[in-house]
Amino acid sequence: MSAVLEVSHLRKSFGGITAVDDVSFEVRDGEILGIIGPNSSGKSTLFNCVLGQLRPSGGEVRVGGRTTTGMRPCDLNRLGVSRTFQLLQVFPQLSVRDNLILAGQEHQGSMVARLIGRADAGLGEAVDRMIAFFNLAHLAAEPAGALSYGQQKLLDAAMAFMAGPRLVLLDEPAGGVNLTMLSQLRERLAAYHAERNATFVVIEHQMEFVMALCTRVLVLAEGRIIAEGAPHEIRRNPVVIDAYLGH
Amino acid sequence: MTRFGILATTAAAIIAVVLPFFLKPFGIYLISMWAVLTIAAIGLNLTLGYAGQVSMAQGAFVGIGAYTVALLTQAGCPFALAFAAAGVLCFAIGWMLGYPALRVAHHYLAFVTLAFTTLVFLVLRNEEWLTGGTYGINGILRPAFFGLSTAKPQPFYYFCLGTLAVLALATWWMLRSPWGRAFKGLRENPIRAQSLGIDTRRYTLMAFAIGAGLGGLSGALYAPLVQFIEPGSFALGLSFNLLLMVIVGGSGYFFGPFVGALVAVLLPEWMRIAEGYYLIVYAVAVMVMMAFCPSGILGLVERIRNAASRSDRAAPALRAEGAGP
Repeated sequence: MSAVLEVSHLRKSFGGITAVDDVSFEVRDGEILGIIGPNSSGKSTLFNCVLGQLRPSGGEVRVGGRTTTGMRPCDLNRLGVSRTFQLLQVFPQLSVRDNLILAGQEHQGSMVARLIGRADAGLGEAVDRMIAFFNLAHLAAEPAGALSYGQQKLLDAAMAFMAGPRLVLLDEPAGGVNLTMLSQLRERLAAYHAERNATFVVIEHQMEFVMALCTRVLVLAEGRIIAEGAPHEIRRNPVVIDAYLGH
Repeated sequence: MTRFGILATTAAAIIAVVLPFFLKPFGIYLISMWAVLTIAAIGLNLTLGYAGQVSMAQGAFVGIGAYTVALLTQAGCPFALAFAAAGVLCFAIGWMLGYPALRVAHHYLAFVTLAFTTLVFLVLRNEEWLTGGTYGINGILRPAFFGLSTAKPQPFYYFCLGTLAVLALATWWMLRSPWGRAFKGLRENPIRAQSLGIDTRRYTLMAFAIGAGLGGLSGALYAPLVQFIEPGSFALGLSFNLLLMVIVGGSGYFFGPFVGALVAVLLPEWMRIAEGYYLIVYAVAVMVMMAFCPSGILGLVERIRNAASRSDRAAPALRAEGAGP
């Protein structure tokens, strides 16, 4: 299996604080990699460095063998890397449908073609399928801001999948979602993964969610990787237990 | 668009076409001014209402457009060419003014654009060799097309109205295309937009440039409308006035600028009966309006219609796609 994402010796410091400290790992094609760790262990900073939202202080990021360190998020997205956010990020005044078209339209043709072409950028059917896949059909015309928190999380995930990405980074998809919605979200993520053989990286606090969804888990503490392995190994690893409960 | 929207637009278009037959020359001058300023307000509505970028420089672009046309036509250049030049020049300058917007937002951006407006005013006033300084430029001629002169108020009004219709249609097309959705994405959530492959830098510059270009085209009609331009007309006052039109009409609503410009052009005239107090009355009206309905007149209309349709239990059907925010 080839590596979709390679991160080597990545470092990010804010003033005197090193949030991500010499982190190296790779994500293989088709796997669901979980990244767990206590609060302020550097998970989100790591994501933001990989995705170009933050410029790393050192190290390198490669996507499909191509160096992408410091690349703008929009360019990275066009290489097939997509993400969801820890804190909800939808376009609240746009309808659910427009949110999804917007999530895919920049992958359709050139800028000029989009100006003179169809209003839905030819994504009408793809959006209908995505809406059905995430059970949002009854809400398609509603403004995204009017949806419940859990429904917005589903929409957020659906948006990340609109352009058919090869790699999706999910930042705490389960955060603040109630149990019913959570199992629905997990089931939809697993289904999408099975259908497209997509590659996921998931940051999560909710252990059950990680254990059920991920094929491999990295543990981050104080900006460093302290453990790596299959979910059931991680659960028993004394270093991990210490990092979560020891302080 | 809803059926109500289509009906209202058709009615307004018919009124705009037949109105000059019932007006004296000054009335025609006023509605011509409405058409001209609506073009500039449409541009600002694109930059501010749709793309969410504050600009206090729209008046300056009207000024640049007006001076471009005045100077070029007096140098013997045909009007059509001067008109296009005004649009292209403002597009280019607007693109450059967009660069600060990539670094600063909201009130900081307002200050940057405010400074630009002052700069343009100073250049127009001080560079006498080019602009005639405080004396301005006199005797700007109205164009003729295929032997038809627009020198009289009525033909010139129809020329302005036609230009407004064409530019409004082009803007409407752009706003319903994926570009319009990207502009709204920029306004609603730039970080998310970027993570979805939307080149926020290019769209921000584009929003500024197109908005400025429309400002320039508005100025290109302004000069032959008033036939005498001087720097004072394009100082901060005009930029504030255009901002007011966009906000009072309904920022982010396609027809907001049409309504806002109508209020801003006609209300002061109607209030002349209040004599010296009319500006005060006008200011209070605007303040009350902003306090109780920050989404503008069209926002108020939508609110009333939504409340009415909720009582009919037909709300979701009416909210379908269209020119809403």
